Amino acid sequence: MQTLLTLAWRNLWRKKRRTFITLSSVMFATILAIVLMSMISGMQEQMVDSIVRNTTGYLQIQDVLYHDEPSMDHALEYGDEVKDAVAAFEEEISYTVPRIQGFSLAAKDMGTRGVMVNGIDPKKEDRMNNLSSNITSGQMFDSGDEYAVIAEGLASLLEVEVGDSLVLLGQGFQGMTAVGTYKIGGIIRFFMPEKNNTMVYLPLEQAQYYFAAPDRLTNLIIMTEDEDLVPRLAKNLESQLDPEWYAVKTWEELMPDKLAAFEAREAQVAVFAWVLYIVVGFGIFGTIMTMMFERLREFGILLSIGLKRVKLAAICMIETLAISFLGVLAGVTAGFLIVLRLHFNPVRLADELGEIMIDMGIEPILSFSIAPEIFIYQGMVIFFIALIVGLYPVTRVLRMDMVHSA
Amino acid sequence: MKTVIKTNGLSKTYTNTAVPVEALKDISLEFKEGEFTAIVGPSGSGKTTFLNVIGGLDKPTKGNVIIDDVDIASMKESQMFDFRLKHIGFVFQAYNLIPVLTATENVSFIMLLQKRPKEEMNKRAKEMLEQVGLSDKLDVRPNKLSGGQQQRVAVARALASRPDFVLADEPTANLDTESAFNLLDIMARLNKEENITLIFSTHDQRVIDRARRVITLVDGAVDKDEAFDRD
Repeated sequence: MQTLLTLAWRNLWRKKRRTFITLSSVMFATILAIVLMSMISGMQEQMVDSIVRNTTGYLQIQDVLYHDEPSMDHALEYGDEVKDAVAAFEEEISYTVPRIQGFSLAAKDMGTRGVMVNGIDPKKEDRMNNLSSNITSGQMFDSGDEYAVIAEGLASLLEVEVGDSLVLLGQGFQGMTAVGTYKIGGIIRFFMPEKNNTMVYLPLEQAQYYFAAPDRLTNLIIMTEDEDLVPRLAKNLESQLDPEWYAVKTWEELMPDKLAAFEAREAQVAVFAWVLYIVVGFGIFGTIMTMMFERLREFGILLSIGLKRVKLAAICMIETLAISFLGVLAGVTAGFLIVLRLHFNPVRLADELGEIMIDMGIEPILSFSIAPEIFIYQGMVIFFIALIVGLYPVTRVLRMDMVHSA
Repeated sequence: MKTVIKTNGLSKTYTNTAVPVEALKDISLEFKEGEFTAIVGPSGSGKTTFLNVIGGLDKPTKGNVIIDDVDIASMKESQMFDFRLKHIGFVFQAYNLIPVLTATENVSFIMLLQKRPKEEMNKRAKEMLEQVGLSDKLDVRPNKLSGGQQQRVAVARALASRPDFVLADEPTANLDTESAFNLLDIMARLNKEENITLIFSTHDQRVIDRARRVITLVDGAVDKDEAFDRD
């Protein structure tokens, strides 16, 4: 075995340029795979994160009927049962965000618009999506304040500004009429037009009073640091809550259309990845085949002086293993450094693509993921491809005609 | 003298060509221990094919090759590898040393495959390199040696494991006159000292003039088989 290792190792360094070319092909294939998959994963993560933070959160506790019929009559009672269930998993839960939401009419002078009234805890919203950073004039309220913050588009449609009053009219809990006049304390801007033209924010207690639903929420958002915990956390919370009254919904259940879009995208990525792997495989195959033809005579010599085919095949395999391993190692290292730089210094997208992302409520940057599994998986796939391709010299050796080769 | 190789009705036809080529036709010969034989003939006469067949590198279409009472023509490839390793030494026209090994390692290589003890291998390799006049090149790789020196290493490698016979395919074809004579002197001396049977294919007159037996092949058949007293 030591002889085979010695021969393989010395062969690798005998023709440094040949080894370098083969090693480079594996290395660049690995870099390409890592950078592309990191970009695709990064954008996916960015979209999920953006959707989760700006809309549903990872999990929501709701009244059991709210999901199918989202009316104020199905607001949940935010009592001890819910609070105890959340407290039972405080290690896995980073924080909770209470919301009470319902449609209403907003009127100012002769103008009336349909709006979404959101009762929120501003500090918790800031933690979730940094809501108050979007304020363009005035300021975000504190919990004890009694004024409203409305979206910039809506303010424009109603021709109101900070300091004006707004009348809200809607339906409250159990058929009560919701009505109130609120001073506008701040204007907030959203990228998504449907939010920018409809959102009205009130302090949570004010909104509960407006909807005649004290101590009630339409949804309690549960946030966690680790997305992978979500399915288990959902099951755990469900186990603590009476299923006759409460439901725990994941973001995937709350937005099935988005999930379907992600799944379709994942299928596209898988096809793209395989095309990439085939291209990469042929690239490596080209270099290994050239190397093989250069060495046919040398292999013939070794066979004719008595080296068994199996041992010669083992030498080829060791060389392939070594080149593939070193190539993948170099590729993963270089790929990691490139991705790391792009992760912390993301490319900002301008023009149409950037605008599309803004419209989707996503920051217009090209985000790169540094999830370890990308480097491990891509490294392993390229290593595996290189090994498969590396079987070519092995099979050639096993059936080569030594008389005509030597 | 003991018969080392015996061929009976040896024929070889290549069929993977547009027209089948009869490279060897019904060759029956015997080679005795310690012989120094030259297989001569024009290009395409079947010299290399004959060496390949008796060396077990190629199989005959008909006939058999008896070495050490065994018909190697009927052996499986894996058996043939072992047999070649133990019984036959090769010297090729293009030296065919392993480029990544030093002179000593090249000479030891066959003994290494034979799993000989390391001390014995090293001692024998040094001894053989001394015999071919390369005691100062023990740790030198082939690319630092001249053609003549490389061929001397190849001879040392072929003889080091003390095979029953050595097959040399045009060993002087790539050498200048001085190197060729030098190599032939060494081979003739080793043939006597080690009593190793040497069979050359050649059309180099310098080799033919040293051979004690000259077999002439024409169109794959034995045309002449002559013995000479060179002492």
